[in-house]
Amino acid sequence: MSRIGVFVCHCGENISRTVDVERVAAQVGKLPGVAFATDYKYMCSDPGQNLLKKAIIEQKLSHVVVAACSPRMHERTFRKAVESAGINPFLCEMANIREHCSWVHENREEATVKAIEIVGMMVERVKKNRVLPTITVPVTKRSLVIGGGIAGIQAALDIADCGHEVVLVEREPSIGGHMAQLSETFPTLDCSQCIMTPKMVDVANHPKIKLYSYSEIELVEGYIGNFQVTIRKKARSVDEDKCTGCGLCMEKCPIKKIPSKFDCNLGMRTAIYVPFPQAVPNTPVIDRENCTKFKTGKCGLCQKVCGPGAVDYEQEDRLIVEPVGAIVVATGFDLYTINEKPKGSMIKGYGEFGHGKIPDVIDGMTFERLASASGPTGGKILRPSDGKEPKQIVFIQCIGSRAREKGISYCSKVCCMYTAKHTMLYHHKVHDGQAYVFFMDARTPGKSYDEFWRRSIEEEEAVYIRGMVSRLYQKGDKIVVMGSDIAVGVQVEIEADMVVLATAIQPQKGADTLAQKLGISYDKYNFYSEAHAKLRPVECATAGIYLAGACQGPKDIPDTVSQASAAAAKVMTLFAKDQLEREPIVARVREAGCVGCFYCKKVCPYGAVEEKEIRDRQGNLIRVVAYVNPGVCGGCGTCQATCPSKSVELDGYTDEQIVAMIEAL
Amino acid sequence: MTQPIDTSIYIAITEAIRDEAKRLLLEGQVSAVIGYAGARRKGSAQPVIISQAEDAAKLIFSPASVNNLALYLTKAKKEIPKNGKIGIVVKGCDLKAIVGLMGESQLKREELYLIGVPCAGVLASTAQPSTGLTAETIAPKCTECNAHLPAGCDYVPNVQLPAPLQLEEKYIAEITRLEALTPVERWAYWKEQFAKCIKCYACRQVCPFCFCEQCLCDRNKPQMVESTPRPAGNTAWHIVRAMHLAGRCAGCAECERVCPMDIPLNLLNRKMAKELKELYAYEAGFEVNDKGPLSTFDEKDDQSFIK
Repeated sequence: MSRIGVFVCHCGENISRTVDVERVAAQVGKLPGVAFATDYKYMCSDPGQNLLKKAIIEQKLSHVVVAACSPRMHERTFRKAVESAGINPFLCEMANIREHCSWVHENREEATVKAIEIVGMMVERVKKNRVLPTITVPVTKRSLVIGGGIAGIQAALDIADCGHEVVLVEREPSIGGHMAQLSETFPTLDCSQCIMTPKMVDVANHPKIKLYSYSEIELVEGYIGNFQVTIRKKARSVDEDKCTGCGLCMEKCPIKKIPSKFDCNLGMRTAIYVPFPQAVPNTPVIDRENCTKFKTGKCGLCQKVCGPGAVDYEQEDRLIVEPVGAIVVATGFDLYTINEKPKGSMIKGYGEFGHGKIPDVIDGMTFERLASASGPTGGKILRPSDGKEPKQIVFIQCIGSRAREKGISYCSKVCCMYTAKHTMLYHHKVHDGQAYVFFMDARTPGKSYDEFWRRSIEEEEAVYIRGMVSRLYQKGDKIVVMGSDIAVGVQVEIEADMVVLATAIQPQKGADTLAQKLGISYDKYNFYSEAHAKLRPVECATAGIYLAGACQGPKDIPDTVSQASAAAAKVMTLFAKDQLEREPIVARVREAGCVGCFYCKKVCPYGAVEEKEIRDRQGNLIRVVAYVNPGVCGGCGTCQATCPSKSVELDGYTDEQIVAMIEAL
Repeated sequence: MTQPIDTSIYIAITEAIRDEAKRLLLEGQVSAVIGYAGARRKGSAQPVIISQAEDAAKLIFSPASVNNLALYLTKAKKEIPKNGKIGIVVKGCDLKAIVGLMGESQLKREELYLIGVPCAGVLASTAQPSTGLTAETIAPKCTECNAHLPAGCDYVPNVQLPAPLQLEEKYIAEITRLEALTPVERWAYWKEQFAKCIKCYACRQVCPFCFCEQCLCDRNKPQMVESTPRPAGNTAWHIVRAMHLAGRCAGCAECERVCPMDIPLNLLNRKMAKELKELYAYEAGFEVNDKGPLSTFDEKDDQSFIK
């Protein structure tokens, strides 16, 4: 006979406000098999856990049900507590009377009755729980970092400095990401290139970092500690081992007028190119769409001039499989496409601002390139249309951000600060110019941030106008900006030479596809979701995968670097052990009933089902049945739902347990 | 008014089957041949397994050759010699079951020698086996047959199949009628049908796809389906059966033929097949599939049912 202990938590007032917890404990205490039932204000607190442990020992309890919050929150806490009192942790179950009951109901009487039923179900279930031994699996102490921006670089360096190998995969020909494009950085105005490029070189030279640039993730298989990642190394058409980075090929390339993506299409590049002079690796790539050799078969100049013979037109994409134990996702952001409504998107676009139509209406990143000493204008602020210096410049904030009616309701977080920076850079470079900023609110929390913003107004003479712009139009060589100043309550019209739009930050294109390959969740904007907003901000719900930087949500550089180091610390925590203990919630095949139809194998998302031959003593094959590899099984239960003869069951969620729960209702 | 159906080719087919079975057994190509033989009553046919060449003369094919012999390859497979290939006489509808079983790792093509039968139709009931085949006596499944000539067999007798008559498609007509009902009326109809069930499980025993050695309905820990013939448990059984056959059943209609209570079981199966065809453009029984539509997930799958 089981001696079940039921522990009902008030969760402060979270549960007890709606549920009569004393009554739940009293009622459940009468159920057959329940030897002890009590309630307590905070069951997860130290005294709460001690109460539980004491009761286990004094009452000689065999099973435990904790009626509290979601098992996602505290199942681990209580299983640990139970284990320390000498019971197998898998004989402890959580009855969720918070998310499933008190938080969603108002009527105290009904909620109490429901809570009693929820707990009653778990009591019946726990009676049929089995003692499960913990499964241990080896940990591959190598890490994959996806994305070579500042987040990925920081995470890779931190992990590699601890002595663990890192595989860094970057989609573009060079690492560096958006930070390499920036001119100066807030709030100290140090040059982005100056602080970024040494880190890029560190990556290139680090003996523990294996860099795959111009590569993408093709396939991710396996599970925490044991991932198998297939990387597609796109054909660069230049042999990285032979190339010395002399640059002669780029000098000789006759196709010179391709807009440079790195320079936001303001500068030009050749068909064989490195995105920017400080690129890492400093190996050019041939843009096959624009290269004459690939288009017509003629030319071949770069190959002729290449001394070490590194140019290889025959190169093909290669697939490389890398075993890793942990994955850091740091795919970063992209800027909002503001001129049009992207197809199939909930985002509407800002056609009224003329971006893409009026040449001198640019976005913030383009302004960064204009202000950058290594940019297409050598750091001079010049209009894209006629190369004149703009004397009146208007910055408009919150383009896309905080505009629910346009499809994005979040704040992009960095725009207030970078616009303040832009006004300063402008004032430093165009002494007789005037900067105006249209803003909704100035959001400047952060160390030295508000001081920085004040400085742009008080010392750098930027005029901040609280209000939004309704329309922009070209008039002669001026852009008329029509807006409102809601502080004064008047319409404002400014004839500007150039307009800079602080466009919203969005996740990288293809973020959703990558998430599907990784099996991690993402929100409606395609930002990746952390396991817990407050307590597990860098971990994904999928074990062994961590997040760093703007792929999780808009972030500035200091936050990104902090999060990247935090993700690295999580990876190191995982690598600190040789064997990984994992939950023994895995499927098992009842071989007597298995007829070998292998529907389980067909539906298993983890590839955990194998075919097992059963032979007699003479070695004759009797039949073939399914076998679940417990190391690979993810415990999803899809096989259990699929098996026609119910011959495979997930430990902890067996049909017997589920039916017992239903019958308890 | 009875419209007769021409089954004169069955004489030539019988001859051809006998010759082929004899040759196979003499040459030792197969260890046994599964076919039909005449039974005691005039015109009747029953499944037979022969392993001697001289027994080949017993084989026949007639409008009473109703059974789906694929059954003898799975459930009764223990009774068939394990070594060597097995020859089997198949109609188009039986072949679909064999194709399905190959996709579910129950059979291997290289272990079978398929003797295909060009089939003009079989009887709905063998209560009077010598009845001539007419538009009235023909099995409802034959009115909708799209596999008169089985494809991909090792041997098919060289006879000219007369052009099939245009008959009223009975299942389609009945499904259309039921679909027009309100959910309440439809539920009432099925409740009435399932209430008749006596839980003899003949439908399960005759189904080539019910090859599990331990049916979940026979388990008692936990008991998934009530064992006594009570309306609720009956409904549970028939829904389990229909769901387990969705995307697999190709409509041999043996369940319906053997049901002693005349429950229109194949009607349920045909409705499921119709859904599969409409949702996934999938029809069971034509090619060996590694994964059917119900064991795969594609992002392009219809999601409209998630509200």
